Amino acid sequence: MADTSMWTGSDKYLCDAELAQAFHMSRVLGMPLLMEGEPGTGKTELPIQFAKDNSIDLFVYPVGSKSTVEQFVAKFDHVKYLRDSQIEVLNAQRDEKGLAKKLSTGGRSTENLNDYVMMGPGAKAFSMPNSVLLIDEIDKAPREFPNDLLYALSHRKFILPESGKEISISEEDMPAIVITSNREQELPTAFKGRCIYHYISFPSPEMMLQIVHKHYPSADAEIVQKAIQLFYQVRHLGLERAPSTRELLNWLKYVNTFSKDKALEKLIKMDGMGVLIKTQADMKILERNKAQLKI
Amino acid sequence: MFPSLPHTFRKHKLNADVRTLLQLRRAMDKGLVNTLGDIYLTLKALVTNDPKEFGPFTAAFYEYFLEVEIKNGETLESALVRSETFQEWKKNLMDEEDDGKLPDIKELVDRFLDEVHISTYDIQKIIDANEILSKDDPNQVDSANADTDPGQPNKLDKMVDYRNISMEELKRRMEAVAKQQKGKHNGGSHWIGSGGVSPYGNNGAAPGGIRVGGGGGGKMARKVVNDRRFYPADAKAMLKDDNIDAALAVLKGIEDESAEVILDIETTITEGLKQGGIFLPYEKEKVNNKIQVILMIDNGGMSMTPYIRAVQKLFAKMKTRFSHDLKTYYYHNTIYNGAYKDVRRTQFVPIEKIAAENKNYSLFVIGDADMAPYELGRTSIESWEVLTKKYKRIAWLNPMAEKYWYSSDTIPVLKRVMSMYPLTPEGIEKAVAKMNQKRRYSRK
Repeated sequence: MADTSMWTGSDKYLCDAELAQAFHMSRVLGMPLLMEGEPGTGKTELPIQFAKDNSIDLFVYPVGSKSTVEQFVAKFDHVKYLRDSQIEVLNAQRDEKGLAKKLSTGGRSTENLNDYVMMGPGAKAFSMPNSVLLIDEIDKAPREFPNDLLYALSHRKFILPESGKEISISEEDMPAIVITSNREQELPTAFKGRCIYHYISFPSPEMMLQIVHKHYPSADAEIVQKAIQLFYQVRHLGLERAPSTRELLNWLKYVNTFSKDKALEKLIKMDGMGVLIKTQADMKILERNKAQLKI
Repeated sequence: MFPSLPHTFRKHKLNADVRTLLQLRRAMDKGLVNTLGDIYLTLKALVTNDPKEFGPFTAAFYEYFLEVEIKNGETLESALVRSETFQEWKKNLMDEEDDGKLPDIKELVDRFLDEVHISTYDIQKIIDANEILSKDDPNQVDSANADTDPGQPNKLDKMVDYRNISMEELKRRMEAVAKQQKGKHNGGSHWIGSGGVSPYGNNGAAPGGIRVGGGGGGKMARKVVNDRRFYPADAKAMLKDDNIDAALAVLKGIEDESAEVILDIETTITEGLKQGGIFLPYEKEKVNNKIQVILMIDNGGMSMTPYIRAVQKLFAKMKTRFSHDLKTYYYHNTIYNGAYKDVRRTQFVPIEKIAAENKNYSLFVIGDADMAPYELGRTSIESWEVLTKKYKRIAWLNPMAEKYWYSSDTIPVLKRVMSMYPLTPEGIEKAVAKMNQKRRYSRK
């Protein structure tokens, strides 16, 4: 039986109430958790930290524009299969000629089709009870991909067509599936219907303070306070790419490499803004508004 | 349970049906639902699929479970204060309060929302905090924990831990609530206050006590009602700057990149022959189809002016986001053997040239298609037909509201020549879906 107690975060990850509850619900109901939200708000971190905190196996499938369900589930290695069957023919020919040395198939047998199945993260997670499966950035996938996953998600079962092998898992042992999306593409309604949906809202300044504390427990309180204050002002400038949690953490990492006085000076002079600001246009907006920002 | 819930939710344009009820029921059976706040979160996770639905969802939730009707443009606070549920709750609170004094209305609303949105998570937090406190030396004043005030542990006694109530009991209560929904007004309030389902009774979070509802369910609810970000941009509204992003998301659908690896037959055979008949399969990547678009815009009459900018912006945005080929032509009302390359319509491009592109191009015609009947002569229709014959992925997007299409003389004629859709995010979505169908078909 899977661990279905509520997970509220670890010493490295802060889970807000709604997220904790949505994640809990998805695990109890055996439905995937579909997470959306601004980039850099910790979507991908959730399953990683959850797996780490509970010492569970984690399987990650980073989705790209060329992802197919075969890569995710399992691929039948036709090349090896054909190669091995050719080797069998060759070996028979060598036999006839009385040559003793045989060519090796590396222990695989063409009789056993399962020898040629290369399991992807999906199949691996489904054959390992109570694991964690992360499908990262599903919105980058070709349109068919989410639809192809539907069967597996609702029947908890993969069937590998070439070998006829079936990988299935009971509802109790279902891996905790987390799917993240940046909304670059609308996902099919049928797919969304099978998921628990959660939108990570941007953390409030108080929450951000706690997040920063989790990451840099030893950071100077004054620096953190000032940095967060400045960070939220920058976010409200109406930039094209508003900086997110990830950027703030990177920025603090940079500032923290200096002594306190120097770090404060860096903050006031707004040094290292390249970490926060990612486009030329945004940099210009910042320059124009620099005078209004209060530290 | 809650048989009329889907109906209320659908009224708010949310996707809810019998499956929603079944899923909710399953969540209850698994012990996920212990408070009204849990129902809010559970349903939210099941029903909404987009942050834009949070607003309507919250409104639907308040309408169904608390009989608080949030009018268009009204804040949650004022809708609450207006509602009988809230008034009744306030009355009960007043009766219990010894000195009959109540905090100001803002504090009351906060308290009410805390009670509505308290969830298992919050209760768990409180219990955890309580355990930490009880483990502490009671005589030692912990200054770091000043805001949880260990001096008043009796506040916690007032809280009922609803996880200990049997599921049957909870269901019974819920059903009772559901039944009363049909009655007049006393339904919703049973969840809270005097009905006793509230997990921490009427005395709630006293100032200085432990702040409950810290999960911010109430805060979130307050935020989403009225916030435009959490309301759906009207998919049926004509294309303007507001919903251009919605349209863009839809347009991405035609990007249809495929990423299959296919057997390279030619290389396999040549190499196999070289190897003396041992064929090793060679694979090659299937060539990706990049999105290719031809745009034909009617920039003639005044009627089109408001839309040209939006349309151009839409496709320009696309161009910056995806590298692809975009060709734009202009015409007035309809085409006669060709169209123009520039906005001022001086550089004529003959129809053969427009039709000379790769047949995989998607062609969007944008125009109101409404003109004097004599303008749409044989030549003109034949010109359109050259294009429909060549490009299978072709659609007409019309900024004119669909209900007026049939009162025009020329729209029905052109509609027969090619599929026509309204120039709305929804219309574009339909056009793209149709185009993708065509494409799949022609591939086989």
